[in-house]
Amino acid sequence: MRPYLDADFPDEESHVDVSPLRPYVLTDGRTEPVDRTLEIEAQVMTTGPGTDALPGLAFEHRDIVGLCAVPMSVAEVAARLKLHIGVARVLVADLAEKGYVRVRRPSLPLAHDIDLIERVIRGLESIR
Amino acid sequence: MDSNPSAKALPVPLKIVIAGGFGVGKTTAVGSISEIKPLTTEAAITTAAEGIDGMEEIPAKTATTVALDFGCITIDETLKLYLFGTPGQDRFGFMWRDLSHGALGAMVIVDARRIDDCYPAVDYFEKLDLPFVVAVNMFDGRLAHTIDDLRWALAISDQTPLIMFDARERVSVRDALISLLQHALKRAASLPTP
Repeated sequence: MRPYLDADFPDEESHVDVSPLRPYVLTDGRTEPVDRTLEIEAQVMTTGPGTDALPGLAFEHRDIVGLCAVPMSVAEVAARLKLHIGVARVLVADLAEKGYVRVRRPSLPLAHDIDLIERVIRGLESIR
Repeated sequence: MDSNPSAKALPVPLKIVIAGGFGVGKTTAVGSISEIKPLTTEAAITTAAEGIDGMEEIPAKTATTVALDFGCITIDETLKLYLFGTPGQDRFGFMWRDLSHGALGAMVIVDARRIDDCYPAVDYFEKLDLPFVVAVNMFDGRLAHTIDDLRWALAISDQTPLIMFDARERVSVRDALISLLQHALKRAASLPTP
């Protein structure tokens, strides 16, 4: 049996306030992400202005704008470009701010969303 | 303003966390059901990890990374489900929080031969009050313990589903995920209307 279940847990607040990832590289020296809350599953897609701006973009931004002609998540951007998740998150937030990519974030909170959960169950049931 | 008409079609992303000790079959499970070959990316554990239990011996400013494996399933034209597999170690707790934020729930994979490995994940999702299932990976088609013994050892509530599955089998992984979502659905139905 989990041996410590009767013990008091450490103060949870000390966990809650720990900052998320703080990437310092590739972000113009900025020390805070533009939007540190961007979820790693958020969908990213290049916009028309992004495609137009592509030739003039610096290399990491250009890679993302090129890649996201097909919509994908922040996590996929990171994996395909071999970037740390935190770095990809900042770069995507940069590009979204400039209007070069669109971002679709999850609709939160989900805990009450019975219709949504039922849709996911139906979707999984169709997998053979 | 937006000259790309198809940009309207971005799906709503959802996610489920796949947790458990090293080598319990997280990446196998993700790979069995994902429609893309599982991808790996790295998340940094930097000074942000200060003060997390188990990290005290690591000097501040030390940066380490942890691999995150993931895959995805298209649910329908407007929903895309991501599965994120993460090592179940105390010291990665801060990454779990990042991953768990907004998750539909979590699947904790257990190797019945070394169930201790899953305790940190079980503890974490209990504290977070995130719906989770414990899925025992049947490595060789048999089990060294009965389900009742396992439930006792894990000390999970009677409401928490405890299931057997085979991480190599798509349909088995699918059913494990459905168990999780049915559990989440029961929870959702019992919550007061916001």
